[in-house]
Amino acid sequence: MNARGLVDDVTAQAIDLRWLRDALAPASPYGARRYERIGPFVPGEESLAQTRAQRIAAIAAACGEQRLDAMREIFRNVADASSAIARASMGDLLSDANLLELQRFFDACMRLDGLSSGVAELPPAVDDAVRSCARELELGRAGKFGFYLADAFDESLARARAALASAQAEYDAVTGRASAKLAAQLGREISGSEFIVMRADLAGSLPTGVRVVREAPTYLLCEIDADEAMLAALERRDAFAGAVAAAEEAVRARLTSIVQKHAAALDAAADRFGDADVLVAAARFTLAHRCVPATIVEEPRLEFVDGRFIPLALELEKEGRNFTPISVALHDVCVLTGPNMGGKSVCLRICGEIVLCAAFGIPVPASAATTGLFAEIAWLGVGSEVQGGLLSSFAREVVRLRDVLERGRPQLFVLMDEFARTTTPLEGRALLVAMLRRFAERRACGLSATHLAAVAEAAGVRHFAVRGLRGIPEKPKTSDLAAALETLAASMDYTIEEVTADSAAGSDAIALAALLGLDDALIEEAYVSLE
Amino acid sequence: MHVAVGERLLELSRATGAPSAIVVGTGKNVGKTVAMRAMYEAAVARGLRPGITSIGRDGEAADVGDAQSKPRLFLRAGTIVATARDVLPRSPATEILELSRLTTAAGALVFGRVRADAFYELVGPPTASGLREAIDGILRFTPYAIVDGAIDRIAALAGGTDAVVVACGASASPTMDEAVEDVRALVGRLCVRRYDEREPYLRIEGALTPSRAAECIASKESRQIVVTDPTQIALTGRAALHAMARLRLRCERELRVVAITVASLGRDRAFEPRAFAHEVSKATSLPVFDVYSAEEAA
Repeated sequence: MNARGLVDDVTAQAIDLRWLRDALAPASPYGARRYERIGPFVPGEESLAQTRAQRIAAIAAACGEQRLDAMREIFRNVADASSAIARASMGDLLSDANLLELQRFFDACMRLDGLSSGVAELPPAVDDAVRSCARELELGRAGKFGFYLADAFDESLARARAALASAQAEYDAVTGRASAKLAAQLGREISGSEFIVMRADLAGSLPTGVRVVREAPTYLLCEIDADEAMLAALERRDAFAGAVAAAEEAVRARLTSIVQKHAAALDAAADRFGDADVLVAAARFTLAHRCVPATIVEEPRLEFVDGRFIPLALELEKEGRNFTPISVALHDVCVLTGPNMGGKSVCLRICGEIVLCAAFGIPVPASAATTGLFAEIAWLGVGSEVQGGLLSSFAREVVRLRDVLERGRPQLFVLMDEFARTTTPLEGRALLVAMLRRFAERRACGLSATHLAAVAEAAGVRHFAVRGLRGIPEKPKTSDLAAALETLAASMDYTIEEVTADSAAGSDAIALAALLGLDDALIEEAYVSLE
Repeated sequence: MHVAVGERLLELSRATGAPSAIVVGTGKNVGKTVAMRAMYEAAVARGLRPGITSIGRDGEAADVGDAQSKPRLFLRAGTIVATARDVLPRSPATEILELSRLTTAAGALVFGRVRADAFYELVGPPTASGLREAIDGILRFTPYAIVDGAIDRIAALAGGTDAVVVACGASASPTMDEAVEDVRALVGRLCVRRYDEREPYLRIEGALTPSRAAECIASKESRQIVVTDPTQIALTGRAALHAMARLRLRCERELRVVAITVASLGRDRAFEPRAFAHEVSKATSLPVFDVYSAEEAA
């Protein structure tokens, strides 16, 4: 999943592209190779994007969680036969491990087809080439999962092996007899090629058939001296071993040529298998996160109902809390205001996530959505600091804005999180207003979250606001932060609605500070100052 | 006393009930592979059809590190082998049982069954955790595994239930006295006893390093010093002996060291075999065997 060009590193981090990429990652090496090559659909490819999302949703609906998980298990455990196919296509003789990789791949294709039978959106992985090669390799199946260049592949193999086994037995017998005779003469066991004889244990000279390798004052390092019978048996064994090697290579050559003949078709089967892995991963994601295919339109707009930012939803779920979905409708650049911790930044992330998913033809985390395809998704404001370097926070924001404007992508989706918050409110507001006007002129779509007042009216853009606290929540009795956050969440109305009045939106900052545990005297003084 | 060394080593290892035996050494060329092969042959003679692997590379004709000739491993039909796929003999063909995702210096690890007697090179995973996985893999196909533990890689013993055979030899130390001290230090570490929960103890998180041991000695620590298992005692040679003499080193999980093998022949020197075995036996109080002379130290 290659989003380069659509988002840069800052935007990718802000909308947690890495999480999304991991969540959609296929399980097999075949899928991984396909996944790396997948890029976003671009404006003009709306129907392709929509078709892909619908295909994924259809797979999810047709298969259900259990079947998809069973397929994922196949992808996770499949052997990678790509290099075997490549080697065969170049005429390299395949090894037995290569042949097992191919057999495992064919088995996986067949099991996958068994599970995906009746799902029109997943074309069969098995074709004539797979069937034909699998049939040839079947003779080598050893046990449930193993492979052996079995005698059944060729009669001459069986004959050569029988002769070798007999020659090896003959050689073992000859050496065993010699070893046993020496052991009896020396009164000790002889194991291995070299052994020590202590001079003190030796009555007279060494028996015949022993060669001294090294002499020391108290012992002799010896080895068995091969006699003519032993050498003849060894020679016979080596000759039969050579015959076995030749017969085995002949079988490997025949099997390699079959794979070579079908190499192009097997490559195509590997690609289909990889595609299925990518689609199944996306379908599993769709089910796990209750996603739906968005309606993809040509205009630069975004509208969704009950959108969720999945990484945050999962984090909350771990703590036993619920994510409150939100709904937004944008066809232009708009301002978003609301209290601290009211979900403005999360709203921007949901927008980014939905637009990104739609661009890759993935069902989106909402109960319904309509969106255009964009040439660039740009995140400005908070989060830009991840770039680091010598520039101040403000300078980094400005440089990013300059770059986005200079690139001048025609269909731009822009997400601005408290742009220019690090300069004076007066000049920051002026810059924000000018920027929004520029984006509006360019018919960009997006949202600008801000605490600055009267920006929307001055820029001539629509204004959305988070409803905010339903009242001042009661401070929890303990200083437990989790309890404070729970109280806050229960009191916050995260609904986003278009507002007409462009008054300075309250941030509820003092109430939140109190809730989060600042001491009462300080809070009181803040309220006095405010009045 | 002449004995069938391989059989005795196998007997002692299996008496622990462990499903695997690992041979570790005080250094290179101290007879680990010779000891392992003796055990292997004894196991085959008993009809055990054992599994076999190594940490890192072993079994090649010449040692990759110092080009010294190495014993080759002639494996019998029925043996389970875990080695790198790139060093599997092309012929006679091996039954490939499993393609592992573990990697070695010579490519991915495979588990195979020897179908016809042949020479094999063992190249196992280079890491302790990889070796443990390889042993577990072998035990899926056969009930008994024998492992060449390479050069003093005792970390591989952590987390396992193996019987341990320690190999020492003339190649690793310049004099017999030093060779005896080295094996005494290694065996002393590996044989650290389990701690007594009723007595005061100081639990060490991670490894007991030389500096931590020095601190304990300096502060005259009298409590039991407890590490997870003996592989966490990161002290060797004299430093280990010094610490063991002054501290009450203990562990949570004991290792099962069952025997020592001696190789009195080194590339550059040789020790008097019986004297060497005798001194090692005296210093360690464990059964000591000379594989070359087929003797057990008195």
